[in-house]
Amino acid sequence: MLTSVTTVTMITAALVLGLLAVAMGCVLGWANRAFHVEVDAKVEAIAEALPGANCGGCGFVGCSDYAEAIVGSSADVTLCAPGGDACSQRLAQIMGVEVTESLPYRAVVHCAADENQRLQRVPYDGEPTCIAANLVAGVQGCVYGCLGLGDCTRACKYDAIHTRSGLSVVDYEKCIGCKACAAVCPRNIITMVPFKVDRMLVVACSNQDKGPQVKAVCEIGCIGCTACSRKAELMTMEGNLPVIDYDRYESDADFTVARQKCPRASMLYVGKPSAQDMAAVADETLPDRVVADFKTTVDETEWRG
Amino acid sequence: MDTLISLVQIGIGAALINNFVLHYFVGICPFLGVSRRVDTAAGMGFAVTFVISVAALLSWTFTYFILRPEAPLPTWVWNAVGGNPQQTVDLSVLSYIMYIFVIASSVQFVEMVVRKFFPHLYKSFGVFLPLITTNCAILFACLEIMKRMQDPTSPWMLHEALALALGGGVGFTIAITLMAGIREELDMCDVPKPLAGAGIGLITAGIMAMAFMGFTGVDKGIENAISLFLK
Repeated sequence: MLTSVTTVTMITAALVLGLLAVAMGCVLGWANRAFHVEVDAKVEAIAEALPGANCGGCGFVGCSDYAEAIVGSSADVTLCAPGGDACSQRLAQIMGVEVTESLPYRAVVHCAADENQRLQRVPYDGEPTCIAANLVAGVQGCVYGCLGLGDCTRACKYDAIHTRSGLSVVDYEKCIGCKACAAVCPRNIITMVPFKVDRMLVVACSNQDKGPQVKAVCEIGCIGCTACSRKAELMTMEGNLPVIDYDRYESDADFTVARQKCPRASMLYVGKPSAQDMAAVADETLPDRVVADFKTTVDETEWRG
Repeated sequence: MDTLISLVQIGIGAALINNFVLHYFVGICPFLGVSRRVDTAAGMGFAVTFVISVAALLSWTFTYFILRPEAPLPTWVWNAVGGNPQQTVDLSVLSYIMYIFVIASSVQFVEMVVRKFFPHLYKSFGVFLPLITTNCAILFACLEIMKRMQDPTSPWMLHEALALALGGGVGFTIAITLMAGIREELDMCDVPKPLAGAGIGLITAGIMAMAFMGFTGVDKGIENAISLFLK
């Protein structure tokens, strides 16, 4: 009975698999101890303390890479924008270093002209992305200004930048300063500005050309008249554009005269709405928000294989 | 010389003509999942080539000594229990579980070794290793090797199995790198929303597969070229 082929096959199969399992288990168990790699406890603690957004705003590949860089190559602990000050404090505590004051950097679009104020625009029927439109000569007169096709909107994970009448506008209630929009803008007109106060003055133009050329392509762009730089101490001319020295910018800096002297509307206060702005719209009632019904609307969930 | 020609034929065949991804449609998960950037795609391709070679080595060994019908181990057991010499014990039913088991644990082992002794190598492709241990492309290579080993006219030996594995791995690397290049350009395009993501990826893969059908017959030409050169 024992010598039937089926029985011997079954018993051999069970024995072979069983022996193999035991052998592999022993080898792996031994290897796990013999080739154990020490992971620094600090790296694990820091990875735990980071928000895990993996936004790449710090300049490293992801949160775990940043954690390794802090411990391994002593990177700055204040680089995490989504985590903010609280996160920097925790990281500094783990690493045992003093944290210096970190300012909230926020995105600023250095263009204020909407699609009607930017002149010499021609119909563009190509791919509706800025990076593609930027390759086409003569899409609009100004080669520095916003293209308004929303690459920054798509790059933003926090729904904080939107295109309004062909111009990208930052929502400072939502912006956390992750630099994603600045990285994706093909014309590099988005920069990060340290918001020392809730509302900051910025130069809302990037056009480096001389006055007549600017006037030909834009109704509000900076013509480089240097009036503001003569009236405000913090402003200097770099080429044909004024630059604000944010290192010396304080909350009491006064730009009233400089702004009055500006013949174009090239300087803007951006940031969270001030008390006066809120008071001006206090009596307006907002329409009710319509909340999408997830049972009947297709959400944007992407299928991943 | 015939051996060399047949090895080249097997390698070229697995790399271009019967490309694992584009002809057999195995290994689609990493092909679509890790083909967003060219550098990571190339890393994935090298990792797959490596794992597939290890898998071919192990699967050939286990098939030769244990799994095929006349293998030494079951024959020895059958003789030891004094069975009828006309009958044989066939363990080939164990092939799937054996391949997956052996490949998964050996790749785990290799990963530990690489992590310990080659940290830089581990950084560049070590993270992919656990992802592809039981990938269908790997299992497909093992099963293909087993099938060819039972071919009665010319059963495959180890070098042929390794040629298939290397060719298949190189073919996978070619396919995934090309795909990543195309997908980097696709990012600039306005893909209709229902097709965005995996949908357009699969369509692209289909068109690439049709393009790769143009390689049919290349192995014959190379065979002729080599035999002319050697004459």
